[in-house]
Amino acid sequence: MKVAIVGVAQTKYESNKIDQTYMELTFEVVKKLHNQLGITNDDVGSVITGSNDFTDGRTIANMAVQDGVGSVRKSESRVSGDGAFAYVYAAMRVLSQEYDTVLVVSHSKCSEGDQCLINNSIFDPFYQRHLGLDQISSAGLMANMYMSKYGITEEQAAKVVVKNRKNAFNNPYAHIQKEITVDDVLKSPMLAYPLKELDLPPYSDGAVAMLLANEETAKKLTDTPVWLRGYANCTDAYYLGNRNMTDLIALELAAKEAYKMAGISDPIKDIDVAEVSENFSAHELMIYEALGFCGKGEGGKFIDSGETQMGGKIPVNPSGGVLSSNVAMANGLIRVAEVAEQLTGKAGKRQIPDAKTGLAYGMNGICSQGNCVLIFGGD
Amino acid sequence: MVRQKGEFQIRWKTDLPYRWAIGKLAVKYFEELKKRKIMGSKCPKCGKMYMPPRGVCADCFVEMTVDDMVELSRKGTLMGFTVVNYPFVDPNTGAMRPFPYGYVICQLDGADTYLMHFCDEIDHTKFKIGQRVEAVFCDELPKDHESYRPELKGDIYDIPFIRLLKDEEV
Amino acid sequence: MPKHDVAIVGIGQTKFRSKRRDVNIPEMIYEAVKAALDDANLEIKDIDALLIGNMDHFEGINFSELWTGIDACGFYLKPVVKIATGGTTGSSLGISGYYNIASGIYDKVLVVGWEKLNEGGATTGIITAFDPVWERPSLAGALGPLALMANIYASKYGIERSMEASADVVVKNRSNAANNEFAHLQMPNITTDFVMSSQMISYPLRLHDCCPQSEGACAVIYANENEAKKITDNPAWFKGVSTAHYYTFGCDDIMYNLPTATIASKKIYKKVGIKDPIKDLDVAEIYEPTSWAELAWTEALGFCDFGKGHTLLDEGISKMGGEMPVNPSGGVLSTNPIGATALVRFAEAAIQIMGRGGKRQVPDAEVAMGMGFGGSLWTELCILGKDPKPVR
Repeated sequence: MKVAIVGVAQTKYESNKIDQTYMELTFEVVKKLHNQLGITNDDVGSVITGSNDFTDGRTIANMAVQDGVGSVRKSESRVSGDGAFAYVYAAMRVLSQEYDTVLVVSHSKCSEGDQCLINNSIFDPFYQRHLGLDQISSAGLMANMYMSKYGITEEQAAKVVVKNRKNAFNNPYAHIQKEITVDDVLKSPMLAYPLKELDLPPYSDGAVAMLLANEETAKKLTDTPVWLRGYANCTDAYYLGNRNMTDLIALELAAKEAYKMAGISDPIKDIDVAEVSENFSAHELMIYEALGFCGKGEGGKFIDSGETQMGGKIPVNPSGGVLSSNVAMANGLIRVAEVAEQLTGKAGKRQIPDAKTGLAYGMNGICSQGNCVLIFGGD
Repeated sequence: MVRQKGEFQIRWKTDLPYRWAIGKLAVKYFEELKKRKIMGSKCPKCGKMYMPPRGVCADCFVEMTVDDMVELSRKGTLMGFTVVNYPFVDPNTGAMRPFPYGYVICQLDGADTYLMHFCDEIDHTKFKIGQRVEAVFCDELPKDHESYRPELKGDIYDIPFIRLLKDEEV
Repeated sequence: MPKHDVAIVGIGQTKFRSKRRDVNIPEMIYEAVKAALDDANLEIKDIDALLIGNMDHFEGINFSELWTGIDACGFYLKPVVKIATGGTTGSSLGISGYYNIASGIYDKVLVVGWEKLNEGGATTGIITAFDPVWERPSLAGALGPLALMANIYASKYGIERSMEASADVVVKNRSNAANNEFAHLQMPNITTDFVMSSQMISYPLRLHDCCPQSEGACAVIYANENEAKKITDNPAWFKGVSTAHYYTFGCDDIMYNLPTATIASKKIYKKVGIKDPIKDLDVAEIYEPTSWAELAWTEALGFCDFGKGHTLLDEGISKMGGEMPVNPSGGVLSTNPIGATALVRFAEAAIQIMGRGGKRQVPDAEVAMGMGFGGSLWTELCILGKDPKPVR
């Protein structure tokens, strides 16, 4: 039994999508997907959405999108958190042989809430929340510990931003399409040492949808199905103080397990493209190490080598990544969609030639606590 | 931190602000409301009239736009009612919501869906399911009424509540 | 047919109470997790993945699974996923557990639903589930709309008769609860008069027509056909699951007769081969948030004709000892820890199949239904049995 992605659709990512409600935002992307595949809502067996109540400012955030995702009278369920985990639940529904097709939709509007307060609510109310920690200050802690342990420079971290912003220029859906230099990053205002404004992602609004199908149905709907080859989910410790802050050990374990399932022995050689959820500049360097693209502490040297740029041995985030479009909760599903676009050769100016195998990484919580690694292959 | 009967509790109070997009149809609704018009949206495919207006007909999965908006009557039929008589914190204000208050679901003439709203009646014996009701505009109220406003502002409180119509008014 | 058969092999519940000030959130959840592991004679290392859920805003904790998954359930360096769909959170978790196993991705999963309602504001939280422009200003949590619907239901079938029959539901469920050590409101001597003379909360609903707000957790261990046999001789097998969702706006339909329960039950009856639910099912654990809802929901589930919900009680069919007892556990009217509530329905259905119900056991229960209700009036169902096959 196999599960295929048969089509993906994305909205343009931007801040302040004030002309659309959540319902209308998801409708735009689901209708686009229907039209692209030449199907109607009746062809969709069931629906899985991925969203977060705090991000949307709505309890039962999926209630707001029922009409938009076409789940009235149907079976819908909602994974609370990143869209990559929603993809996995949808894939399970196909693999269980109970549905021929499952629609996955993930949405959020980061620019409508106060992201620092929303992320502060992730911390436990006894020991950490009152300290005012949020996604930026905790990222600063992690970046500082990682960079000082391994001697990573701020210039090396800045190179990640420069690369991803350059890539975003090729992605019509990307939010920030403005090329910058290492100097721009270094000179931007300091937010949480060593992280500066440009080391951190923007706040974006948008939605992404994809249709999954079993083998038989996939053949009817597309010539270029994208198959799930490997999957693993691994959760790190909750308290930052209990965490190894210099190495993403949970991501490393997830990657190893997913590689094993997909039969990948040498990720650099076997993987053609990776789309990862990098929540700050140095985070992408830590991700390189955890995914085994380079050795421990060598993330800095690896970005220097240029191998993760377009044209390198393993381009990372041809889409521009989270540093260019940060639709929290949809980020993981956007990574999956971008890998699918690459493997079907539909990635336009950001296409990696002959991409056969791709990796998508989605993340939940603060500093890579919940990790989902997915490996995909074309035919 | 407070200690009660040997147990610890930590109090946390927060103000979590959002600014939600209401959508183009709602913008039009409130613009028209200022002109004393109540607008629904009509599905261009099946003709179902939605109130509140919104951008999607979930039955047909087709888009509705501001061009599909049609004026509805301010009068309608009472479908269900209750008198809320319990205390709770109102997330709109962060304060306790005053009670008791009348709460009704009604169908405005011309609409296929229903509207849930306040009602100025709090004696449950006065409600009769199926009876006629009317949306009240704030500027029509006596000046000393707590919901009175001299002019319509284009927000939900332009219609502060639904009024039960007396038999002789029907 | 699913790729793998799915069974419930272990169950743990906390004692549900209005306040559990003696424990914090992870400590409370751990009680249920430990009980489930002991029940199945397993350790955390034996379980592949965790599915856990509650409603974020009720306790004010974002990404609560990342705290509770580690500190309460011990899933450090293991898979954790949160499923949350309002009142149906527990059944959505229960159904997700089914797909996690049926798909062959995992062999054994732990499913946990929890809520600590007295630490936040449930009514306040529920209001934020609704549209900020159209619905929030006047909405009064879940009870306001349920009272509106009660009036519509009662007006169709006669207000006095309906509210009296509704009080009978409370009497049945709360006296059943006295047989269930985990239940929150155990009232062995409750009378119809007591219910009908309690304080008016939201006309026509009185205090005792409504569910309580409870604190507690429920943990359930799922396994596939190979693993289940190693764990217990008597697992509760899934025969099928079914979900029906509805419109975004709560006011898009007059849903007193819960159309989603009719849609979801027709789907599952067809799949499981059920022709006459009263005959084919031995027991049902349904999600009745208020008294009248059990009457309306049992009608919508096809247990009787529309408007005849009271006959199940009058004829004793839904009482203990009847042809098909409904809510032997005491149901939601006795216990409502929201994120756990619907999972408790699945767990109690499984307890009946496994014959572990003690004083609340329905003799020879072979086919049981569990129901979740929530969101904008969604229904989720499971049918469990002594084997995974359709009943006919």
